[in-house]
Amino acid sequence: MTAPSACQLFVGTSGYSYGEWIDAGFYPDGTHSSNMLEAYTQIFHTTELNYTWYQMPKAPAIERMCAKVPKHFKFAAKLTRTMTHEIKTGEWQKQVLLYRQGIAPLLRWEKLLCILIQLPPYFRRTVHFRQYLARLLDALSGLPVAVEFRHDSWAKDTVFSELERRHVTLVSVDVPALPGLFPRLDVITNPELFYIRFHGRNAKGWRSGIMQKQFDYDYADQALKEWVTTLQTAMMPQARSGAAFFNNHVRGQAPKNAVRLMDLLLTEGSRQKSWTAPSSI
Amino acid sequence: MDRAIIHLNIADFAVAVETNRQPALKGYPLVIAPQGAPRAVVYDMSNEAYRQGIRKGMPLTRARRLNQKIKILPPSFNRYERVMKDLIKETMTFTPLIESGTSDGHIFLDVTGSGRLFGPSVDVAFKLKKAFKKTCNLDPIWSVATNKLVAKVATRMVKPAGEYIVGPGEEKAFLGPLPLLLIPGLGKTALTRLKDFNLFWVFQARALTLEQLHVPFDHRAPVIYDRIRGIDPTPVTARCESHSTIRADHEFADDTNTANLLKKALYPMIESICHTLRSRNLTGAAAQMILTYSDGLQTAATVKLAPATANDMAMFKKCIPLLNKAWTRRIRIRHMRLICKKISSPQVQADLFASRTKETKQADLIRSMDRIREKFGRQSIRTGLTLTNTPPYQ
Repeated sequence: MTAPSACQLFVGTSGYSYGEWIDAGFYPDGTHSSNMLEAYTQIFHTTELNYTWYQMPKAPAIERMCAKVPKHFKFAAKLTRTMTHEIKTGEWQKQVLLYRQGIAPLLRWEKLLCILIQLPPYFRRTVHFRQYLARLLDALSGLPVAVEFRHDSWAKDTVFSELERRHVTLVSVDVPALPGLFPRLDVITNPELFYIRFHGRNAKGWRSGIMQKQFDYDYADQALKEWVTTLQTAMMPQARSGAAFFNNHVRGQAPKNAVRLMDLLLTEGSRQKSWTAPSSI
Repeated sequence: MDRAIIHLNIADFAVAVETNRQPALKGYPLVIAPQGAPRAVVYDMSNEAYRQGIRKGMPLTRARRLNQKIKILPPSFNRYERVMKDLIKETMTFTPLIESGTSDGHIFLDVTGSGRLFGPSVDVAFKLKKAFKKTCNLDPIWSVATNKLVAKVATRMVKPAGEYIVGPGEEKAFLGPLPLLLIPGLGKTALTRLKDFNLFWVFQARALTLEQLHVPFDHRAPVIYDRIRGIDPTPVTARCESHSTIRADHEFADDTNTANLLKKALYPMIESICHTLRSRNLTGAAAQMILTYSDGLQTAATVKLAPATANDMAMFKKCIPLLNKAWTRRIRIRHMRLICKKISSPQVQADLFASRTKETKQADLIRSMDRIREKFGRQSIRTGLTLTNTPPYQ
């Protein structure tokens, strides 16, 4: 794999509409939910669309969202749960078609960073699930796709080489070191895009079933510095673009850590003001 | 800060509860209606029955004409209420701000303030959907919006299954292309008026200014103006009775509009309430009567019980006019509920020179009856009103 000359890195958060980020100081006091995306784009140039996991995206709503953001802004859209967590045999193909229709404005507006397939922990590397994943990736062909595994049975070279063959991005995850979880890796399977998700390392809260505990984690500088080294030495030289999303949204830790990562990537400690950093490098 | 309102709606709630008990009925046309009543109407129907043209409130004879082999089950309000209570118990984990009917399968939750504790409202809604499925085997439609009106329209959009998230600021765009009849609060009269002006869609009605709306709607104009713009400031308020009430219910095997039957059913309800009051050494100062008719509609009335009482006979005397006050329709009655309110401890200070009045004699009699019942069971002694089929009260 030849090293592309320059890598464009997008740093952002998983979702942007959190009321508690006002209390955390990320959004100014009195910010209405309807104005959060606009405020978010002042700091970051990318975000993950979480709601598309809960609900099939609807083209008119996505269209309105595209119109709200600056030209350079990109969205990573989660694949809807009916294709990842609640798969119904014989029905999911229709869901893929609906999804394609729903996100069509993202393609038209050139705002799609990639489709994020977040698979559940019980999605193990069995024949059944391998076949399903292959068929799903076939159905999504033509779209930029990133796959996030939550089970360590997928941490196999054969899986990585198949993803590489398909030009599908393997999502690198930063999660607590718990048995069964997909390990922290820096494997690049798609030279067009690498993708990192920072979920936090809250081992105690990870399996609590409560989001506010699972993703309650504040990355220390040391942990972020290690990632900066990995990014600069192992990942960025191998890809044309990359994305790093912080999912530790509780108490505004995600945007805080994301900005800090950008700070460290540029010139460590050179920045004085928070929340003014550009998200693309 | 924008509000986060969740609406959970179990489509065809009564049918869903009944088919849970009899899974063999799933997927077939099914109607919930009292079969014994001559002019019974459809209380609820399955989606399959709906597709055959059967609607709520339709005379049962007409529904039978549409499908002669249709399965008909009698309504069981007590069961629906029990299930609703179970569902509400699940929702109470996330917020105390819950608004629901007694047995209609609709629940609104305001989770604006609990985001820091339980995470984004969308996730709470999704968790509740899973919890309903797990505990009650019911699969609700859910929506998240910034107010009740938009949340309710959103669930209507995806009925009979699915979810709808209307993001903050999206309300106007969401409602714009919808027909006006989907907007809650626009009654038949308002819709007819709008139709007279050739207005069928929300975006068409929005073209009218508030002043223009004043011409056909007068004082209702501001409400309609707001509703078609997705503005609904009404809070989520708990409508269920507070803990300081005692209630009794009676469901008629066959719907009825015979006054004597109603009065006969009323007395045991009063006995039950007063017995509970006496056993807790309390008295009630108000009573509310809620009547549910064959078509599912309800009427209610309230009366003050002055002085506050726990005496069966005194309360019955007050509740007969209350029944007449609540009974405002000519439709047969299916269900009767009596709620005793304003419960408090009785005056402890006894009258020093009190003479034996009719009331004190009645109180002695009731106390004696209580003692007999405690020893020999509830049916061991009964009043004449509840013994025979003869009219108990003329």
